[in-house]
Amino acid sequence: MRVKNKKAHVGRRHAAHQHRDGMLSIDYYAYASKIRGWNPGFKVGFALGLLIFGIAADSVWVSLLIFLGMAWLTVGKGGLKLSRYISFLTVPLVFILMSSAAIACNFSFTAQGDYRLHLGFFYVYTTVEGLEQTGRIVMKALGAVSCMYMMSLSTPVTEIVNVLGRAHMPALITELMHMIYRYIFILLEVQNKMTIAAKSRLGYRDLKTSYLSFGHTLSNLLVVSMRRANAYYDALESRCYDGELCFLEEEKPLRAAQVAPATGFAAVLLAVWIWTRLG
Amino acid sequence: MGDILVEVRDLYYTYSDDHDALKGISVGIRQGEKVAVVGSNGAGKSTFFLNLNGVLTPSSGEILYRGRVMGRSKKELNELRKNIGIVFQDADNQIIASTVMGEVSFGPMNLKLSREEVRERVEEALAYMNITEFRDRPPHYLSGGEKKRVSIADIIAMKPELIIFDEPTAALDPLNAGRLEHTISRLEKQGMTMLISTHDIDFAYRWADRVLVFAEGSILADGDPVAVFKDMEVLLRAHLRRPTLLDMYDLLVERGKLPDEGRYPRKVEDFAEIL
Repeated sequence: MRVKNKKAHVGRRHAAHQHRDGMLSIDYYAYASKIRGWNPGFKVGFALGLLIFGIAADSVWVSLLIFLGMAWLTVGKGGLKLSRYISFLTVPLVFILMSSAAIACNFSFTAQGDYRLHLGFFYVYTTVEGLEQTGRIVMKALGAVSCMYMMSLSTPVTEIVNVLGRAHMPALITELMHMIYRYIFILLEVQNKMTIAAKSRLGYRDLKTSYLSFGHTLSNLLVVSMRRANAYYDALESRCYDGELCFLEEEKPLRAAQVAPATGFAAVLLAVWIWTRLG
Repeated sequence: MGDILVEVRDLYYTYSDDHDALKGISVGIRQGEKVAVVGSNGAGKSTFFLNLNGVLTPSSGEILYRGRVMGRSKKELNELRKNIGIVFQDADNQIIASTVMGEVSFGPMNLKLSREEVRERVEEALAYMNITEFRDRPPHYLSGGEKKRVSIADIIAMKPELIIFDEPTAALDPLNAGRLEHTISRLEKQGMTMLISTHDIDFAYRWADRVLVFAEGSILADGDPVAVFKDMEVLLRAHLRRPTLLDMYDLLVERGKLPDEGRYPRKVEDFAEIL
């Protein structure tokens, strides 16, 4: 019940920021995910491990299993709406299908291949072998995408950055990542306010004024950012900042209830892979 | 009133553009005092605060903490910053971490405390500001009032001796402003020394037991609220107005509705009592 309340609260807040869609809504769903409490290192490791295994195994069955497993984790366990998940998938899917059409099809002036389409003076053709290969590539890509989605739709950016830090990524880079992540939202908010202010004065009435207003907004954003950076630094200093950003992290213990099924799943994948190699 | 906690002697501060932002500030703050700092924008209030906790380096003058002159060594600066906390006007310019818990832990982590101690202080500060349920939330999913509470928890977790609030009620709705005043009165009961800069003259009048009036980088007046706000010359020079309650009282005395006993009411409740 408590979790439910929290979600409703985040949801209410999110409703006020609906203009921020796309990548930022991934950020929101990561916070709302029911498997957010899982150990982030485990989630990142599991997702990356499966991603690499799926690509290396090069098997339709392994990729399909990975895709189904990850989708189940994200939707079934994480509590993301299925329709939401599908709409997230459409973005990479469009790219995958467009590029797979280019892989599967060939052009020729003479009749060739197993299936062909005669278009005036040339043929578009494909072969069974080519279609199989395309299917494998599509599944492989889909499996890989689902791994990344499982990770990013259940693990807030901060936690991913902390995992990278623990994996000995230099502190300079992880600190920058933390600050950029924090700043993206502030800049977007300022930019949004300035755009609205410009719109209310007919700043976007036609293409030419739009270009002008957009340019002014951007240069203003730079000035505002510089000033804010100064204010930020003062605030850091006033809390004894000495060149290193240290934050307390929530410790999320690794649980056997998560590791055991993950290991089992990996074993099944391995078995399937060996079986397809033998067969 | 307790001992003098912080003392500033003849403090000058110049920004790079050769314009003196502070011109010879001298003031002592006693333990447990409630000081309101008033004055128009650009009068030097924020610059004074940043000097007070060592973020800005004075061009000349001294800052004493518990009677000891504070130099610019790292140790002394950290001592100042640990004991004098500033809650900044704009919480978005203060909140650095990407979760509430991370944010509140930033100060205690910089004090190089043990992890257990940091965790304890964070929990305590979150509970104090009633934001425990937001602990894992990133700041961009918080409202303005909630962000303000986080920025106060930031400072409480450092357990300072003196808390400076820089225009705390600016940009807050009446509900959140009321909550903030409640927090301030709780801190007051624990004997916290507080410096609050504000444009809300009525708040300064009813809350403070001492008022500092800043104008053009100097302290124009320093005294108890009734004396300061009755001085028309000070108010004119600092571009301030009189508190409504003071105006009302004077008007009623002038019209003979109230006896002229000089019992200036500071709160509406006191006023009701006189009537």
